[in-house]
Amino acid sequence: MKSEILYPGAFPMVRVELAAGEHIKAESGAMVASSPTVDIESKMEGGFLGALSRKLLTGEKFFFQTLRASRGPGEVLLAPTVPGEIVIMELDGVNEYLVQKDGFLAGAESVSIESKMQSLSRGLMGGEGFFILRISGKGTLILNSFGAIHKIELKPDQEYIVDNSHLVAWSATTSYNIEKAASGWVASFTSGEGFVCRFRGPGVVYIQSRNPGSFGNWIRQFIPVSE
Amino acid sequence: MTEFHPNALCFGHEFPASGAPCLVHVEDHGLTIAFAHDTAESRSEAVSFSDLTVSAGGQDHDQLVLKWTGPQGERTLYLKNPDVIRTFRQAAPDHLTAPLERAAERVRQVRHRRRMVWSAVGGIVLAFVLGLWFGADLLVELAVARIPVEWEQKLGESAYKDFLAQQDIVKEGIARSAVEEITHRLTAQIPNNPYKFEVTVVKSDVVNAFALPGGYIVVFTGLMKKADSGEEVAGVMGHELNHVLQRHGLERIVKQLGLVAVVSIVLGDQQGLVGLAKQLGVELLTLKFGREQETEADLTGLQLLYRAKIDPSGMISFFQRLSEKDEGRMEWLSTHPMSQGRADRLKAELAAMPKLSPAPFTFEWAKVRESLGASLLTGK
Ligand SMILES: [Zn+2]
Repeated sequence: MKSEILYPGAFPMVRVELAAGEHIKAESGAMVASSPTVDIESKMEGGFLGALSRKLLTGEKFFFQTLRASRGPGEVLLAPTVPGEIVIMELDGVNEYLVQKDGFLAGAESVSIESKMQSLSRGLMGGEGFFILRISGKGTLILNSFGAIHKIELKPDQEYIVDNSHLVAWSATTSYNIEKAASGWVASFTSGEGFVCRFRGPGVVYIQSRNPGSFGNWIRQFIPVSE
Repeated sequence: MTEFHPNALCFGHEFPASGAPCLVHVEDHGLTIAFAHDTAESRSEAVSFSDLTVSAGGQDHDQLVLKWTGPQGERTLYLKNPDVIRTFRQAAPDHLTAPLERAAERVRQVRHRRRMVWSAVGGIVLAFVLGLWFGADLLVELAVARIPVEWEQKLGESAYKDFLAQQDIVKEGIARSAVEEITHRLTAQIPNNPYKFEVTVVKSDVVNAFALPGGYIVVFTGLMKKADSGEEVAGVMGHELNHVLQRHGLERIVKQLGLVAVVSIVLGDQQGLVGLAKQLGVELLTLKFGREQETEADLTGLQLLYRAKIDPSGMISFFQRLSEKDEGRMEWLSTHPMSQGRADRLKAELAAMPKLSPAPFTFEWAKVRESLGASLLTGK
């Protein structure tokens, strides 16, 4: 499996080359185009209940598609729904990442994806829902963001504060607490509830440069209200 | 060259922020850490146990974090592979045992707390559905049935000790031995008794007796002075013992604490109940029983007296006198509410039983009362 980002910037696409028999897991609806040798299987990862819980709790769109080069080598073109960057990461078998539900675009077959229940406080205040994805294994992982993606590198015990709606993915070696932003913070953060995550290293945190919720609010004012 | 299978992440100033995959080996003296390398030979570092500090870290605090300062500077190692962690714990010298235990304890705590929170959420939903389905009483019964006797004892014992600390206890004398004899006669007739009943006589003019969950019973000398015979006191005791045996106190607590307690008990967090009871200021001592519970304690108490060959007419006459509302007798009514025709009901119940040939007590009640300073003139 080989992957390459096309048109880097706000409207990128990713091309994934598959050897004969090889497959990838992709967010459903991510496929733009493919070779005729590639078949789409709508597989319910984690069984029916797993898929159902994901559907109910992480957003209805979250079903995986398996794109399999079953009739010879081929390629697929994948794109996220929202404008924003794509990053390709190579998992080394030890690093694990937690990914917010909209952040996942695709993963190699050797990458394992499981829904993970968060602690209640994180689920209530974190804005990522009660389920997030825990991604481990070895191989290619493709993430996407709303806006540009920015990587924050944390040394052991180094702290950093992130508005929760800007989170994309973070290493499992980090830890974080949800905090109510102090009054002074509220103005500087765009999060309406004023909740932020205090991350502690070591590890990396990927954040997106735009807040989907705020963008939705902004765009709503231009939608004419029908009477 | 064999393939490199890392089992840990190492952090240090020259490594990427996401950590360098490495292969940790636990040796006798410490650890060796091998790193993947582009060239054929791999680089490795060693650290001895004596240089390590241990803690828990990561998203769920379920990774073992080892820190030390080596020739290459500060190093932080994140282990999550259970085999490596187990091997490390086995090989680690004594000075690391305590921090390892603390780290393991932290993991257990985080897991436990998370399970508790989520099961409480699930339980609230479940209890809500069940509550609509079967009504609250069944839930209370379900919850009470799940409380082990030991928890009940803990709950009762703390209230009992707190109460007795401020009381004048009758430790010896014929009043004490008379109550002991009554208790023994009665408890000997309880089949499969899970409780170790403890009865204390407290010097006070209060005309009452009470039973705490777990089998802790207090009899006030005021009540004994009002009694005309040992049989009358035995009637009260039989009643109190059955409040314990039927777990009435527990039922009241669970009802008063409401859904929170029910949910936490059904889900197995009985430990929280003791704290919860204190927190919500439930006064165990002034716990008022319900009318249904009174009737139940009366009837089962009557049967117990019968089995112990103690004349139950004493119970009936005493209850009748106690229910007459004159001053000084209100205490009994305050915690054991009377219902209409209570004595009549007991009489009817007794009439239906085969005739009993009672066995008398060994003490002389008049002497017992005298020892308590009761005036011989105000017996009635
Ligand atoms: Zn009673």
